[in-house]
Amino acid sequence: MEQQFRVVGNSVPRSCSKAKVTGEIKFAADIKLDNSLVLKTKRSDQPHALIRSINVEKALAVEGVRSVFTARDIPGKNLLGIINKDQPLLAEDRVRSLADAVALVVADTEEAAERGAAAVEVEYQELEAVFDPVEALKEGAVQVHEKGNLLSCRKVVKGDVEAAFTSAYSVIEKEYTTSSIEHNYIEPDAGAGYVDENGCLVIYASTQNPHYDHKEVVGLLGVADDEVRIIQATTGGGFGSKLDLNVQGFIGLALYHLKCPVRYVYSREEAYLATAKRHPFVIRVKTATDKDGRFIALQMRAVCNTGAYGSYGMAVASRSAVHATGPYAIENVDVDVKCVYTNQTFCGAMRGFGAPQMALAHESQMDLHAQALGLDPLAIRRINGLRAGQTSATGQLLTASVGFQDCLDAVAPYYEDAKENWLSAPTDPFKRRGIGIGGMWYGIGNTGVQNPSTARVEMSPEGKVTVFTGCADIGQGSTTILAQITAEVLGLGHDDITMVVGDTGCTTNAGATSASRQTYISGNAVKDGAEKLANVLLTEAVDRLRAPKNSLHFVDGHVAVSIAPEIRVSVAKLAKRIHDKGGTLSWQGFFDPETVPLDPETGEGVPYATYAYACHMAQVEVDVLTGEVDVKRIVAAHDVGHALHPGNVVGQICGGVAMGVGFALMEEFEPGKTESMKDYHVPTVSDVPEVVPIIIESPEPSGPFGAKGVGEPALIPTAPAIINGISSALNKRIYDLPANLERVIEASIQAGHFRVQE
Amino acid sequence: MDKESVRIEFTVNNKEVALDIPADATALHVLREMLSLTGTKEGCGIGECGACTIVVDGKAVNSCLMLGAQLDGRMVTTVEGLATESGLHPLQEKFMEGHAVQCGFCTPGLLMSSHALLEEKENPTRAEIEKAIAGNICRCTGYQQVITSIETAVSERLDGENR
Amino acid sequence: MSKIAYIKPDSVGDAIEILADKGSSAAIIAGGTDVMVDLRSGEITPEYLVDISRLEELKGIRMENDELVIGAGVTLSEIYNSDLLAEYAPALKKSAYNFASAQIRNIATIGGNVAHCSPCGDTIPPLVIHEAEVLLSGKDGQKRIPIEQVATGPYRSFLEPHELITAFVLKPRKAAFADFKKIGRRKDLAISRLSMAVMIDKSDDGTISFMRFSLGACTPTPHRMIPVEEFMVGKKPTEKLLFEGGRLLAESMIEITGRRPSIIYKEPAVQGLFVRMLHPVVN
Ligand SMILES: Cc1cc2nc3c(=O)[nH]c(=O)nc-3n(C[C@H](O)[C@H](O)[C@H](O)COP(=O)(O)OP(=O)(O)OC[C@H]3O[C@@H](n4cnc5c(N)ncnc54)[C@H](O)[C@@H]3O)c2cc1C
Ligand code: FES
Ligand code: FES
Repeated sequence: MEQQFRVVGNSVPRSCSKAKVTGEIKFAADIKLDNSLVLKTKRSDQPHALIRSINVEKALAVEGVRSVFTARDIPGKNLLGIINKDQPLLAEDRVRSLADAVALVVADTEEAAERGAAAVEVEYQELEAVFDPVEALKEGAVQVHEKGNLLSCRKVVKGDVEAAFTSAYSVIEKEYTTSSIEHNYIEPDAGAGYVDENGCLVIYASTQNPHYDHKEVVGLLGVADDEVRIIQATTGGGFGSKLDLNVQGFIGLALYHLKCPVRYVYSREEAYLATAKRHPFVIRVKTATDKDGRFIALQMRAVCNTGAYGSYGMAVASRSAVHATGPYAIENVDVDVKCVYTNQTFCGAMRGFGAPQMALAHESQMDLHAQALGLDPLAIRRINGLRAGQTSATGQLLTASVGFQDCLDAVAPYYEDAKENWLSAPTDPFKRRGIGIGGMWYGIGNTGVQNPSTARVEMSPEGKVTVFTGCADIGQGSTTILAQITAEVLGLGHDDITMVVGDTGCTTNAGATSASRQTYISGNAVKDGAEKLANVLLTEAVDRLRAPKNSLHFVDGHVAVSIAPEIRVSVAKLAKRIHDKGGTLSWQGFFDPETVPLDPETGEGVPYATYAYACHMAQVEVDVLTGEVDVKRIVAAHDVGHALHPGNVVGQICGGVAMGVGFALMEEFEPGKTESMKDYHVPTVSDVPEVVPIIIESPEPSGPFGAKGVGEPALIPTAPAIINGISSALNKRIYDLPANLERVIEASIQAGHFRVQE
Repeated sequence: MDKESVRIEFTVNNKEVALDIPADATALHVLREMLSLTGTKEGCGIGECGACTIVVDGKAVNSCLMLGAQLDGRMVTTVEGLATESGLHPLQEKFMEGHAVQCGFCTPGLLMSSHALLEEKENPTRAEIEKAIAGNICRCTGYQQVITSIETAVSERLDGENR
Repeated sequence: MSKIAYIKPDSVGDAIEILADKGSSAAIIAGGTDVMVDLRSGEITPEYLVDISRLEELKGIRMENDELVIGAGVTLSEIYNSDLLAEYAPALKKSAYNFASAQIRNIATIGGNVAHCSPCGDTIPPLVIHEAEVLLSGKDGQKRIPIEQVATGPYRSFLEPHELITAFVLKPRKAAFADFKKIGRRKDLAISRLSMAVMIDKSDDGTISFMRFSLGACTPTPHRMIPVEEFMVGKKPTEKLLFEGGRLLAESMIEITGRRPSIIYKEPAVQGLFVRMLHPVVN
């Protein structure tokens, strides 16, 4: 029998949505602290140089400038980074990219700060710079960091690829490239801070991980934990880039020295210049099938460019290596992904951590093999698609919640219909239609490392529930879902739960809002805390209702006897009794998914406890005369385990598709050239197709009420589906992203479509 | 040397205001920094995102591309002026119900663009809705739930009138 | 340090006086959609902003003595909504459809679009095919110059600092076929990578009897592509002819610009867009 839920599974109103539609809600830039000073950084204008000297005298002479800080003013450790610490807040002896901050100016007004920053004089000794990661790996290349340009390498090795290639029916080898991408969340990074009456530095920030920010600022300033408090301000999107420290460190440094309120709001131009990007990849891949279309081998050599600093680069390399096979069972695998330093703007986390780049490669190879064998693209994915009971390339046995085949099945009727009715429908003589399929899998949480979440669930003696969680809601709706989970456990309504979110003064670490992990991991942590609380309430109710625990359940703010619900006692009464007896009503929840670290040589291990799966179908129309691509429709089937909030899931899918359209067709960040939003094209409503979201529920036994995640999966299959659609429309494949006007028209010409049709 | 200042008088959300502003201040700056109407957002400062959209004399405009001085004598509505004493504006309600709001940073701009459209057109088509919000970039929602929310507001208004 | 003053003249005469007085330290601001962007980036650093956005004398679209007169202060929204333009200059009306965004169309003016001298100005090719003349007012009185003379190069204007565009005078024409098309990096809110405007009439025998054609965003300044017009006139439009005309267009473009990197795309794309735009006139 299907389990019945009261709260989860419903699209309840989202937290804060009222304050968001009235304009009342305060984002970081909206926080007005009295007499607040303004910050601005002087940034490097050199991609690679030694700093000879920094002269701040002229800057200090600017009217309205209060102070100018350089690396020397940092009392603690001037090295930041979530995985490897290699990025100074303020440059010491050298700059490694145009984004590097050299000095921090504090002034009365924006204008004074800007003038002050312009007046800081830096004398550089220019160094040769390296921008291409392949070049950077060559012997004798310019060294970006002392320890060398290779940041990390992740290998996944299984079976014997060479033997498989020899015996294969069909072998295809290709190279793919993807571009650097700007997250372009609509809220530029911002923060504000003050020193409270206890001397604690309080920093409001637009962030995806307040507890990490806290640790970094504490380390930077060399102060005690309780001397810094980070409060997540309402955050206007992040998509990975607000995982790094952006304004927080600067605000902390100014507060530390000046003890008076400060604010720092990045202009869009500064957000473009100074924050992390998506790693561009060069992927060389060789795959083999038997005569039935079964993939028997995959060999990949990929290089990703992390720019001047590591940020999440190692995680990107790791995840991409693990995801190289896509959602397919392949016996012989040999993957090597290198993450390389260059003098480009640094790259970090972005929605998918390398998996979207991999998906371009594995989904293109899928179609190439299908074509070589005369197989239907959907059919070849059915043959190879993972099923429960199969083993991944890292040797992980997938036991449950493997919904990839279900996703294929869900898309199939749309696919057949589109082939039959849409593809053949008469169109403009110079437009060609194509249908493309894209598949994906995505491991929930960090790759083969611990990534716990904690939460506190508290009930007042009056029966009011408060959840304390460090889990940053950046617009994806985690706060709503965590409230739903708590309410489900305790038999309350979602709006009975008070949520205290992302305040290191009172919440505990929930880890990053990244890797699509919050519903699954923080959801479980909250559920754990709520269940502990439920347990003491039930224990108390046993006493009151004189019925065994397993005969009781929560309903409408009461504990009732399941077979005789009129026999009940209110939760408030139980809380009061527990409280009066000196019992505790405050419970800490914890969850860390079961993973096993990956072997450095073979990648063997359990990188994730569970995976999400998806399949997209794209219907595209290509203008063979101009290279314009019109994506008409995306059918998007996603296995999310259990959709705790279908409205949110649909929102993630539609938003992911839009981002995928940008990745596929138009987005490309060129350091040094892309300066503002006029130089970078994010899809408008007119560029985004109709989306048919299909939710597949293949419950995950270890997930909170069966849930997994969807945030990143939503984006991953879109670009490959579109590229496959373009390829089938033109009978000519594009291997490089974005498939912009130039690339599409070239493909059209090469395929011979650019000609008189009559 | 100091910036020259300009005296302006205009109506914002049905309230008359008069103030001296720097000559080169944008309308966005005047609203956010001088009148504390922070519902209007800055996403790019150059007309490329629509987060700063306000309605001036019935028309949606980017307040980042307008001089504050150009507000003189105008009727301005910002997101703070959408709700009335009797409650939220129907668009605000539908945006909430239809999950058109994720991070919410683009939301005020989207609301103002669609508000201007609904004031101008009784029953806009889907194409007209898309045209009206094409200058509002939303990086979260992919627009689909935004469009349906606007459509619902339109159809409920029509139903209300036909009843 | 920067000192900016704001001046709002009451009339065109007033504006000219101020402009003449302040010389190149003043910038005209109409809709501001270029000026504000340039101010922010530091591209321009004027000391005075002269706001002409509310001058009634610059408004209005009307027929005067068989000439179509469009005030320099007419906004792109007004252009898009004009019935008069739908009849007499439909390509110009169409150029407003994919112009920037609704918010920008509501304030951006045709005068600003032309005066900015961007090679990508969308209203320019339609103005060119209507052989528009530009009415200038300056301290020496009024002048009438052809639209193609306003820009002397990209973002470089023929206008003196004391001169103001007051209106555009177009040859109205109800052509059998008229269109404007552009290609951008996305479907809306995009600057033209290339654009073109055309008007065509056909004789009873189906041959092209009249054609005006202009290419935008590809050459430093706007051009009527007369060789292309001449090639097409007198011929029956077939797909093959369109490809030939497009080829000629691409060659004419390259003759002007030389082979720059962007030509790799633009060479086929102008030909392609030409074919696409004119395809409806085949038969
Ligand atoms: C996001 C965005 C998207 C855009 N998209 C497009 C697009 O799709 N197509 C396109 O063509 N343009 C586009 N533009 C550019 C701009 O909107 C247009 O050029 C617009 O028509 C300029 O008009 P305005 O009234 O705003 O000019 P302003 O910014 O006020 O002025 C522009 C220039 O013209 C001068 N000027 C203005 N009026 C006169 C006059 N009467 N006499 C003499 N000089 C004058 C000014 O001094 C200034 O140099 C876009 C701009 C932005 C910010
Ligand atoms: S801030 Fe005005 S359009 Fe982006
Ligand atoms: S809801 Fe986040 S940008 Fe639109």
